[in-house]
Amino acid sequence: MPSLFQICEWIYRTPLSTGIRESTWTFPIIESIHTLGIVLVVGTVAVFDLRLLGLIMKREPVSRIGHQVLPWTWAGFIVMFLTGLLLSIAESATNYSNLAFRIKLVLLLLVGLNPLIFHLTIYRSVNSWDVANVTPRRARVAATCSLLLWTSIIVAGRMIAYTKH
Amino acid sequence: MLFLHFFHWLAQTGLGIAIRDSTWAFAIIEIIHLIVLAIFGGAILMLDLRFMGFGFTTQPAPQVARSFLPITVVGAAILFVTGALLLASGPMRYYYNTPFRIKMLLFFLAIIFHFILQIRVARRDSSTDYISTRRKAAGAFSLFLWASIAIAGRAVGYF
Repeated sequence: MPSLFQICEWIYRTPLSTGIRESTWTFPIIESIHTLGIVLVVGTVAVFDLRLLGLIMKREPVSRIGHQVLPWTWAGFIVMFLTGLLLSIAESATNYSNLAFRIKLVLLLLVGLNPLIFHLTIYRSVNSWDVANVTPRRARVAATCSLLLWTSIIVAGRMIAYTKH
Repeated sequence: MLFLHFFHWLAQTGLGIAIRDSTWAFAIIEIIHLIVLAIFGGAILMLDLRFMGFGFTTQPAPQVARSFLPITVVGAAILFVTGALLLASGPMRYYYNTPFRIKMLLFFLAIIFHFILQIRVARRDSSTDYISTRRKAAGAFSLFLWASIAIAGRAVGYF
């Protein structure tokens, strides 16, 4: 069974990885789409999180805001996942030892777990607090975690370039 | 040229020199710029989508416009300030950067166009408000301007 390091090295040597990495335009374009896609994911999920925190559109039912915002978040997530995957393939060997990249992956795992728990637990009873003056604490905790995690992911992502060696 | 003088002056200010000499100041200011950009961008997106008839379709457009005013106003202000600080750390580098010039021109246009649009819609009476082709076009144009600014901003680092 090859080690993770060996797998990353192997990916690094594939034509796909090398092609993207050594390209003039492909890498910058994929990277730019990835950076700008942050707006699609974080920008829209922030609207939902701000609603959960009662800071925006308080008179609108939470579930309705969710229905109208989250499809865009999902669309953005698909873009981010695909571009992120291509970038990770292109830089697999250098990312392996990059602390910022590793931290970012852990944070991405957490930022996926947070809404999973949220949707499986407190959000199931949303009908009872959809138009409440104050949303349940667990909803507000989830929203705060979401905002903090996404902010940290942006920081970690930016740090990748600074921790290359 | 007036701008050239301003950029030269900016390069010599204590603030600019302090940011330039600091190890982390630029990175931290840039990160704040990025994070605020994400949230501001999200508000712009949902707002312009609403003007085009998508997204928050169950809310009257004036209500959506009013809801997002705090975010767009404060967001634009923070983007401007952090942007100015980033510029101050090395003005001449940006002065001769083509994407940066395009970005500044577009930013100037976008601020005027977008806020006239948002404030106009926000001031309308929700009960008599309706979506028009002109508003859809305005929303689309606003979105196009802001997207172009983001692309130009990203391109700054590549030129």
